[in-house]
Amino acid sequence: MDSKTMSRSRAAVALTIASAAVLTGCGAGSSAPAATDDGQPIEVWARAGTDAATTYAALFKDFTAKTGVQVNFQGVPDLDQQLQTRAASKKLPDIVINDSAALGNYTAQGYLQKLDKSTVEGNDKIAGSLWDEAKGLDGATYGVPFSRQTMVTMIRKDWREKLGLPVPKTQEDLEKLATAFATQDPDGNGQADTYGMTVPGSTERGYLGWWASSYIWQDGGAYLKDDGDGKYAASASTAEVQKGVTWIKQQFCTPGNTQPGALTAATSVASPFFQTGKTGIILTGPYNFASFDTALGKDAYEVIEAPKGSVDNTVLAEGENIYVTASNGKPEQTKKVINYLVSSDGQKAGMTAGKQPIVRVPVNADVDAATVYNDPRWSVVQDALKDSSKAFPSAINFVPIKQAAAEALNKIVSDCGADNVGSGLKDLDTAINDELTSQNAKS
Amino acid sequence: MTVTPTKPAETLNPAAGGKQAPSGRKRGNGKQLLAIWLFLVPAAVLGMYFKFIPMVEGIRLSLFKVQPFLGDVFVGFDNYVSVLTDARFMDALGHTVVLGLTQTLGALVVGFVLALLLEGQARSLWVLRTAIFLPVVTALAVVGEIWRILYFPTPDGPLNSILSSVGLGPLQFLNGTDTALWSIAVVGIWSGAPYNMVIILAGLTGVDRSLYESAGVDGATVWQRLRYITLPALRPSIVIVLTLAAIRSLRSFTEVYVLTGGGPAGSTEVWMTRMYSLGFQRNDIGVASAAAVLLLLVTLLLTVGTQLLARRKAQR
Repeated sequence: MDSKTMSRSRAAVALTIASAAVLTGCGAGSSAPAATDDGQPIEVWARAGTDAATTYAALFKDFTAKTGVQVNFQGVPDLDQQLQTRAASKKLPDIVINDSAALGNYTAQGYLQKLDKSTVEGNDKIAGSLWDEAKGLDGATYGVPFSRQTMVTMIRKDWREKLGLPVPKTQEDLEKLATAFATQDPDGNGQADTYGMTVPGSTERGYLGWWASSYIWQDGGAYLKDDGDGKYAASASTAEVQKGVTWIKQQFCTPGNTQPGALTAATSVASPFFQTGKTGIILTGPYNFASFDTALGKDAYEVIEAPKGSVDNTVLAEGENIYVTASNGKPEQTKKVINYLVSSDGQKAGMTAGKQPIVRVPVNADVDAATVYNDPRWSVVQDALKDSSKAFPSAINFVPIKQAAAEALNKIVSDCGADNVGSGLKDLDTAINDELTSQNAKS
Repeated sequence: MTVTPTKPAETLNPAAGGKQAPSGRKRGNGKQLLAIWLFLVPAAVLGMYFKFIPMVEGIRLSLFKVQPFLGDVFVGFDNYVSVLTDARFMDALGHTVVLGLTQTLGALVVGFVLALLLEGQARSLWVLRTAIFLPVVTALAVVGEIWRILYFPTPDGPLNSILSSVGLGPLQFLNGTDTALWSIAVVGIWSGAPYNMVIILAGLTGVDRSLYESAGVDGATVWQRLRYITLPALRPSIVIVLTLAAIRSLRSFTEVYVLTGGGPAGSTEVWMTRMYSLGFQRNDIGVASAAAVLLLLVTLLLTVGTQLLARRKAQR
């Protein structure tokens, strides 16, 4: 190639690179962006599927009618992945509504602004314990509680009555019931096609760690212990956890006590077993009431507080917080959105405005779930939440710990012939301590 | 419309022009080259924007602790060390290699057999080939869901009921730590073999028929014809199939994610699923990027290696 042609080719390549660089905005620095008001409606994101999104849409319609503030709401099922994408371009949505357990992860990533809870109207209507759950490792408040719920045990009442068995009071009763559902043909079709419990035993998103936590707490154990001042230590290999995990393993290793394929089932694969009459017991959140009522009928199943383990009947409490992001430059609109969401009107709208409640048990003390829903089953949820529930620590990034727990438990329960509970939990201890150290939260 | 000669004048009349001819060609070539580059610009810009810049960005991120809102922290090769010293990643690498080899060889053999069986011009073969090709055009996520049902681990599961009729099973398939990886490999072979079949079928059309006839006259057996005529003629097709399969198998993700999510007990975790869970579930973009760069390097080595090996064999 002669020099002229070479230089032309180089020019063309340079032109290509230059235009691409302009298009991508190459050369942007890595410091945090300034929060500015872009003059657009306030952007709110929540982890919500189609049904929940209808409720959010109705709720924000009511909000805009009352305040005149325009809201651009998006229900994003894979919220955390999408937030990462937006974080990479340094423009997060203004407000994010997501799990309270996401707080530690978000603060570690610098996604959130600190909040002054005294600026929230009706902040005294929200229990102090809930505000505590919205604190970061530095003791500052990073979220506003929006909704809470806890797990309850749902049982096929018609099956149980047909077999003449009592409502389970203890884990032993629950186990017996599961075995009976698997072996005594409770649906009477003459085939051995029914199973005991629905269990999301997959490691995906840490499902098994999430499901198992309630049963471990019921025996007095826990994945980690809070040593105060934002410091934690693993406690997964204690005798209490071993007891809980041994019971869990027994369920996986008794044929029929869990549904087939439980070891690789995420909740989307597991729940249909209960919904289609293949299993008779499920430990899950009250958000499933609507779909189970439609599929099975309200009278076919009963809702009870979890049966007792050797210590108590603690179950996992969860909830959603309202988070204000670091790139939010709209303080006035943000304040109005938050005040509305935690007000009586906002909470009631979140419970009833659409197809699926986005506020499960309200955080506002003036609103009563059982009254609003006119459904006594919500009293069971409210009572369990008040008397016997526990949440994962939210100040640290709990996601990797839940993931590690799921992976360790999955390994333990997948090998029924092995005596691996003790050694498996010791490995989990190490994994949790490593994770705490990397988060600078190890005591 | 006027028709302009596409060849320069000097080529039409080689006697005329003499010494000017080469420089004239150069000028013409220069303009042509510029035109080619200008036509390439849109594709190059798109490629740059959607491929090369993200790739370079991925390599850059692999050297940082990524936290956009707090400022990325340069950590050098720490992320690579984390990947290479992580036992889970090494297990995943082992599973990836086993899965890749099994799927590649399985899909090659099955694809080859299918191609031999379905070679020909008859309309019925055309219909059959289309039917067999269907898994390739079906989304892998859907394929995964279908196989999840087929593999249902109870005696009344579709595959288990067939097995029990011949006195076998029920097998745990995806639920057993010993069987899960092989079960996924079968799905990969099932969906990959028809693709290989098409490439090999194309290769078979290029085989000189008279060679078969001569071999027949010489009394060659079917195996000898396959060994000394068909296989050598198919070498280019097989190289393509192997190269594509090597790349595809290293990137196995969807079927594993849909079928087992990496379980049970991590027995089916592959490089991509580990990378995904680190990047998107654990928010560790730096380490996930380092794993991606390593995957890119291995893919590159494998592709170049396959090509070199094939070239050397062809030269022999």
